[in-house]
Amino acid sequence: MLKLLRLARWSLAALVFAFPAAAAAQGKPAQDSQAERQQVQPYNNAPVWRDVRKEGQEHYTSIKGRETGVLVQSAGETWRQIRNNLVTVWGGFALIIALAIIAAIYFAVGPVKTHDKPTGRMVPRFSQIERWAHWTVAISFCVLAVSGLVMLFGKHVLLPLIGYTLFSWLTSLLKNLHNFVSPVFILSVPVLVLIFIRDNLPKSYDFAWFAKAWGLFMRNEHIPSGRFNGGEKVWFWGFVVGLTIVSSVTGLILLFPNFDQTRSTMQLAWIFHALSALLFILGALGHIYVGTIGVEDAYQCMRTGYVDEAWAKEHHEYWYNDIKSNAGGGAPAAAGGAVPAGAPQAERK
Amino acid sequence: MARMKFLCDAERCIECNGCVTACKSEHEVPWGVNRRRVVTINDGVPGEKSISVACMHCSDAPCMAVCPVDCFYRTDDGVVLHDKDLCIGCGYCFYACPFGAPQFPQAGAFGLRGKMDKCTFCNGGPEEDRSAVEFQKYGRNRLAEGKLPACAEMCSTKALLGGDGDVIADIYRERVFKRGKGSEVWGWGTAYGPGKPGAAPAPAAGAKS
Repeated sequence: MLKLLRLARWSLAALVFAFPAAAAAQGKPAQDSQAERQQVQPYNNAPVWRDVRKEGQEHYTSIKGRETGVLVQSAGETWRQIRNNLVTVWGGFALIIALAIIAAIYFAVGPVKTHDKPTGRMVPRFSQIERWAHWTVAISFCVLAVSGLVMLFGKHVLLPLIGYTLFSWLTSLLKNLHNFVSPVFILSVPVLVLIFIRDNLPKSYDFAWFAKAWGLFMRNEHIPSGRFNGGEKVWFWGFVVGLTIVSSVTGLILLFPNFDQTRSTMQLAWIFHALSALLFILGALGHIYVGTIGVEDAYQCMRTGYVDEAWAKEHHEYWYNDIKSNAGGGAPAAAGGAVPAGAPQAERK
Repeated sequence: MARMKFLCDAERCIECNGCVTACKSEHEVPWGVNRRRVVTINDGVPGEKSISVACMHCSDAPCMAVCPVDCFYRTDDGVVLHDKDLCIGCGYCFYACPFGAPQFPQAGAFGLRGKMDKCTFCNGGPEEDRSAVEFQKYGRNRLAEGKLPACAEMCSTKALLGGDGDVIADIYRERVFKRGKGSEVWGWGTAYGPGKPGAAPAPAAGAKS
């Protein structure tokens, strides 16, 4: 990691310095140095002050440490403006709008219901390993999301309510949870991805799903799909794969300040970390909604691993046909063996 | 009411690091933490200039603006202080500060930095003035004793001035007139710059509980 960082820094530095150095060598006189300048204008310190403000310019200091030789870093103010204005204000609006849309769909249209009566025959949908992988990622994600949100918005939302002492204690706890739960998330996502990657490969009928998705949520329309529908595949590739990579890489840069990354590296990492995490949370709100109250019986399915045949047929028809034919056309429950006690949701009804 | 500021005269600073030593000794700052440092530009070549830098106690302090637990506050004298009991050690003040003032006792893996430490303008913290707890957490409270910061008081060439902004600006102006050069008041634009037009400095928040 350290070697990689150094390598990246040097190659970047080589790129940056190669051009001006070549340009300077071609004809620009070197009167930009203070030594030259004070020959001509003894009272002029302009080159020194230019050096002071040059971003990332390190000078001599006997105090050893990260960037101690830098006098002024202007990027800090830029980072502050991006964090306090762009990320906090617009990120906050985005979250409120997303929650409002979900609430509107739930209260105005209602959850997606299964049309047919439950058959009482249960189909195995998620194995125990799949459920464990899912819930490990899900719970660690929720810890990271909640702690991250408190660190970003808590000052404006929670602090006025609970006061300085309690809020600081809570944020300190959440900050440490965030930092120590993150490895669980980073390590469990690849497992989840490996488990589900085959069933998330895009198929032609996924495009048809998108064309009709509006009808699914608004009018409870039936759309055939494979084991995972188009929406789930977008969630898988864009969020679970894509955004995990962005937030993990940027998060690791912030998690290990002991490698002496420069402040500008950490500012940049923070910006991408916050943006990817907010986007991830926005997506997760949708995912959690359709996985709990948004779609009837969806939560039971990930909890117990079994779904009713009627549900399977209605939401994932191609997958249902597949497992049915694999099971030799017999009762689908036979594919997964006996249904464990307590698992079938048919008994609830 | 005085508005406390630091001013370092680059024409006078000789990089003796007396201010750094004075600070460390006065406050018994832990190893690895340096509230003040001297940076030398063009070290060892003609045109060498040295500048002593620490927290400048900005008018619109970036550290205060980005702190997720709002642990910073400003005293009536314009000194930017923080409450170590509230600090969670996230390091955001360190990202935001233009002067590299915030220091952390650790830079450990998993973001374990410890409580932030920085120059207090020799004004302690939110604890009772001149109490043992205050000294242990923030160092000596010289302002409460009617004294000015140790670094500026100890400066052998009087390059580093610390005190009421109006007074030290007058001293500096007189110097510039006499020597006819070196009028750049280093760091003041960044620390005490105009900011938003018409914006008054935030009132002192007082003790936070």
